[in-house]
Amino acid sequence: MNEGSVRILLDGNRRVYQPGDVLSGEYQVESLRWIEPTAVELSVLWYTEGQGEEDLAVHYFERVDALAQASVDLRRPRRFNSRLPYSPLSYQGVIVKIRWCVRVRVFLRGGKELVGEIPFQLGNLPPARLAEAGVAREPVQQPAPEPGGGF
Amino acid sequence: MARYLIRFYGKKRGGRRTGSNLLATLGSGCFCALALTIGFVALGKILVLLTIPEVRANRDFIEQTALLLDKRLDERPTAEGAEYAPRFLLKFSVRGRTHTPWALFNITDLHTHDRPREEALLARFETGREYTCWYDPREPERVVLSRGYSWFTWLMLVVPVPFIAVGIAGLWYVGLNWGKSVERRSVQAQEAARREQIELTGQAPPFPAVPSPGDVTDSPGTTLAFRLPTVELGWSVLGLLVLSVVWNSIVAILVWMAIDGYRRGSPDWLLALLVAPFAIGGAGLAVLFIRQLLFTGGVGQTIVEISEHPLYPGGRYELFIDQSGKQSVKRLRVLLVCEEEATFRQGTDARTATRRVYEHEVLCREMFDGQAATRLQMRAELEIPLSAMHSFRSEHNKISWKLIVGGEISRLGEFERSFLLHVYPCRLETLAA
Repeated sequence: MNEGSVRILLDGNRRVYQPGDVLSGEYQVESLRWIEPTAVELSVLWYTEGQGEEDLAVHYFERVDALAQASVDLRRPRRFNSRLPYSPLSYQGVIVKIRWCVRVRVFLRGGKELVGEIPFQLGNLPPARLAEAGVAREPVQQPAPEPGGGF
Repeated sequence: MARYLIRFYGKKRGGRRTGSNLLATLGSGCFCALALTIGFVALGKILVLLTIPEVRANRDFIEQTALLLDKRLDERPTAEGAEYAPRFLLKFSVRGRTHTPWALFNITDLHTHDRPREEALLARFETGREYTCWYDPREPERVVLSRGYSWFTWLMLVVPVPFIAVGIAGLWYVGLNWGKSVERRSVQAQEAARREQIELTGQAPPFPAVPSPGDVTDSPGTTLAFRLPTVELGWSVLGLLVLSVVWNSIVAILVWMAIDGYRRGSPDWLLALLVAPFAIGGAGLAVLFIRQLLFTGGVGQTIVEISEHPLYPGGRYELFIDQSGKQSVKRLRVLLVCEEEATFRQGTDARTATRRVYEHEVLCREMFDGQAATRLQMRAELEIPLSAMHSFRSEHNKISWKLIVGGEISRLGEFERSFLLHVYPCRLETLAA
């Protein structure tokens, strides 16, 4: 039995976007020969990481339901695009981190799911560091992340 | 293969938790269904055993005169000791047929541990005398000597309500979210919040997850455009007052009980011994409250005004600081700080961790002997770094910018007050452009 996977590609293999930029790309459910997907959801979202509980908010969401649209083939590549918001910017803090990603969730028969995810950066903020009492600290410029796969 | 298996346990990967949504939803559904079942079973039992019989006794039971032949105390053994309720052997005739049932005092037939009370109730009735009773027309052997509505019967109806409420609300929530991904649920919640925001302000928030500047811009300044609100708002003094009053009230009751016992000649030394450390703690709280009150009054009011709000990375702003009080100011320092705040669960407690990630001294003024004054007014310039993170607020995480005014006051020592600022990612005009 083949497990299947989700392939997500961002146009131009970009990983860094500025607020107001259009994020566009393509996703495809691959190698699912025996298990029929019932629905696919694509989300452009941010979530928090760090010491606190995870918070999550979705900026762009689309759902393709095979039950609602009988003629749709969920295995075919699908394009997406969305204009990115002005906040929150990607942030690499000490105990709070804000991450942006494109996430594709494939629903299979029997309540099973496949999830693929590709991270990207919104804005170009430097990482934060602990401030030392009485010392003025200016943030350091952060190099742009390396482009690469992100499932 | 592992991807297709249902994960029976939650696993933490870095900051993210994995596991089966289906199982979690099923678990929640079962819990809510159990709560609902318990609630309905309890409600049914209360209705059948207490409420309906009481309503029937008052509405349907037929009045009759009966002869009291005998009486006794019914004893019911329980784990906490025996419970008692009175029983009366009555004799009366209905349509030519004589009945001699053991009657209850009232329809609820509540058994209690208070034997003397039940014996006193029994003593109110004399054997050989006639009394008014009420019998059930469907079952004439079911007789009571007293009617009326008791508060207990109706209060008991409240007991299953929380179970039913939790069950219905929980099942409604589970049903609403059944088969929905965390992203889809988030979209629905965001849409509801967005509509609420539009209803309140007439427009969608331009910067998602950035706090609205309304709490700052609501208060105009007298020297500059806006007066900044303090973060503390005197809660520490108010909190200490409430804690001190509640604590010392409880201690006063316990002390009164200890003194009363001593006056009656049966002193409870154990109670007195236990109360002593609590009384010392109460006195400590009262002293702390008075000290805090004197300190707050002595330090006086700190006013901070700003030329513009919200603030933007790279922006320069004018500040006005007015520190007045009964004691003279020896040193005053204004800091611009950025703090991360994360709320998380540890067991059943919700904890909040804070880390300062930016600190810059905006102003520092030392007053030498002879210069110290009870009122100090100063102006300063504030600059937000060009690469600053904007203010951010989500349910469990926060990034806040603050101005901290601190210093030293003669005879009172150090003080510190925080004033909230909102830093936006860019100017609203940029969005319009």
